[in-house]
Order: sequence, then structure tokens, then C-alpha cells
Amino acid sequence: MALLARETAWRRGPVPRDLDGITVPLGHRLITGGRYLQWSDSGYGYYHAPGEGIVIERPDGADPDEEALWLNGSVYAGVACLNGFLPLHASAVAAGGQVIAFTGPTGAGKSTLAAGLGQLGFPLFCDDTLLVDLHSTAGLIAMPGHKRLKLLPDALALAGAAAQAPVGAETGKFYAQPAAGDVGQPLPLAGLVFLEAGPETLWQEIRGAQRFVRLEDDHYTQEIFREAAQPGRAELFALRARLAGQVAMARLGRPISAAGFAASLALVATRIREFAR
Amino acid sequence: MTLAKAAGQFTETEIDDEVVVMSLTSGDFFSLTGTARAIWLALDGQHDRAGLITALAAEFEAEPDAIAPDVDDFLAQLSAAGLLSGA
Repeated sequence: MALLARETAWRRGPVPRDLDGITVPLGHRLITGGRYLQWSDSGYGYYHAPGEGIVIERPDGADPDEEALWLNGSVYAGVACLNGFLPLHASAVAAGGQVIAFTGPTGAGKSTLAAGLGQLGFPLFCDDTLLVDLHSTAGLIAMPGHKRLKLLPDALALAGAAAQAPVGAETGKFYAQPAAGDVGQPLPLAGLVFLEAGPETLWQEIRGAQRFVRLEDDHYTQEIFREAAQPGRAELFALRARLAGQVAMARLGRPISAAGFAASLALVATRIREFAR
Repeated sequence: MTLAKAAGQFTETEIDDEVVVMSLTSGDFFSLTGTARAIWLALDGQHDRAGLITALAAEFEAEPDAIAPDVDDFLAQLSAAGLLSGA
């Protein structure tokens, strides 16, 4: 916690245009030598070096809402990767002192499901990005989320969550208050649930090599991890083996509808209470 | 000639009742279950083909001649994937 808090603490200041003689154009990033440099299309600059936190340069006339989206998205993920954390594209809740995470492509309903589980008493652990601490040789420890819960209006209605301020930056989303609060300390990662759309509501355990296949993810955070950690094939295999060997996995299929959501919510609540036992 | 896994050419792990093997050369994954898993685990560098078949026949309580074609097929697949030495 302390390492991540120190390395992601941010301040405003001038951000370099290049690293090691390589200029980073707008809309690009460069991760090299333990440092992270990004320039957004709109001119926001973000720079991190070990022990220096994150420096942000805001351009004149910039959309202020955009700043936090970059900072909490790719920049935070990049700095975390440089410091020994693995980001997973997942939203998660806490159950019985453990973390149950929900993953799937953008729009799969990760945030909505986590928010809906809040109505059933499960505190939110993270939204959209789950950081796994790779330092520990014992279990896999997940870090509590750094992003506020964000939902589209239809998801707010489905999950029964109250809208707070609009997220802005043309996302159409609103910040939402987790109904059961959130968790502020690291917890063991116990389960990873893959969300799928389908004709019926089902929960199916994933076993064996299928766990490896399921851990393939094309989310931008995986790209950042490869750029930052530069793992070889054997290291990536060992990482997957660790996840596959230590985290229970299941797939949750359900129709994308209000009725499907309600049915899947009840099913998931039952299953994750079993995890917690 | 004794048969063995090709040292340095792969990495492996056991998950549930499967062995997952990855070729470090190609990056391809192989999921080994049942008899394929048993053959892979028996490739300890102590047996030639005949000894391997004898050991597996004893393990599965089968006739060596009955399992030999399947063992040969799998060894050929391992060899083609660069995961077998001594073939």
C-alpha cells in the first residue's frame, strides 16, 4: 500500500517531451528505464520516475474532467506495473475478507454487477481495474481500488445506485456511491468470474488449461504490463500458472436484460457467499 | 535410446488434473490429460521406447501391443513440437 501510494502521489509541474532522446508525440506513451511518459491527444502530460511520484502538466483550456481519467487509467496502471503489480480488467467486491473479481470486455457489465451486489451488502473493492500485488510469494493479494465507481444511466437504474456527479469528458457516465461502502485495505484474491452474454443464466466452474486460455486479455492494461515489465514467455507462463493455480475461476452467463440481471445477481450472491465460506 | 523431455525447450505446470506445457520456442500451449499426461510424466530420461510402453502398460493394466500405437502417436507429436529428446 505504502509503495503504491508513494509512487502514484501526483503534483503539477513541467513534463518532459522525450525520454532517452525519444520524443513522445501527442496521443502516445513511452515506458523505459523504469520511467513512464505519456502525452494525451489533448495535450495532458504525465511523467513518472522511481521515487518521484507522478507529475502532471495540464494544457491551457483543457477539459479538467479528462485529467483524472488518464491519471486513474493508463498512467496509474503503468506506474503500478513498474512497481510490481499486475492490473486485471475487473471490478470486484469483498466477501468474507476475500476478493471476488468480475472480468470481461468493456460493456460486459462488470461495474453494474459490482454495484448491484452492493445492494445485497457486498462492499465494493474496485471498479474497472484490479491490481494484484506480485511481491508476495504466499498468496495473491489484491489492492483496493483507486477509481470511483462509474456507471451509465441505465446501469445506475439496474443496480439501484444513486448518481452523484457526472464523470464528464464525454463518457456519459456518472460517479455512483457504492451501496455497501468500499474496502480500504488489501485482501486475498479468491475468485475471478468471467462475464458472458447468453440465453440463460448459468454459473460454471473453469478448470485446468481453460484457466490459461481465459487469462488471455487484450485490454489496454495488459499492453501496459508487457511494456513496463517486459516479461519473456517463461515469465508470462509462470505468472499465468500462479493465477490459474491460486484463484478459483468461473464463468457467469446471463441474458443482457433487466430480468437477466436480477437473476444473475441472486445467483452470484449465492456463489460468492460459498466462496467466502 | 532413452527418451526425455527436451530440456530448456518448455515450461510446464499442473492445474487440477491437467498438465499445461508451453513451448518456449513457439509459445504454443499443450494441455495434457489422461494418457497423454501419463506419457509426459513418464518421460523421465530413464526409459527407451520399449521401456516406456512397458511401464505405461503396467500402470494402465493394458497389453503393451495395445497401447503402443497411441504412445507412438503422442511421441511423434511431442517430437514435432520440439518437446522430445532422444527420439
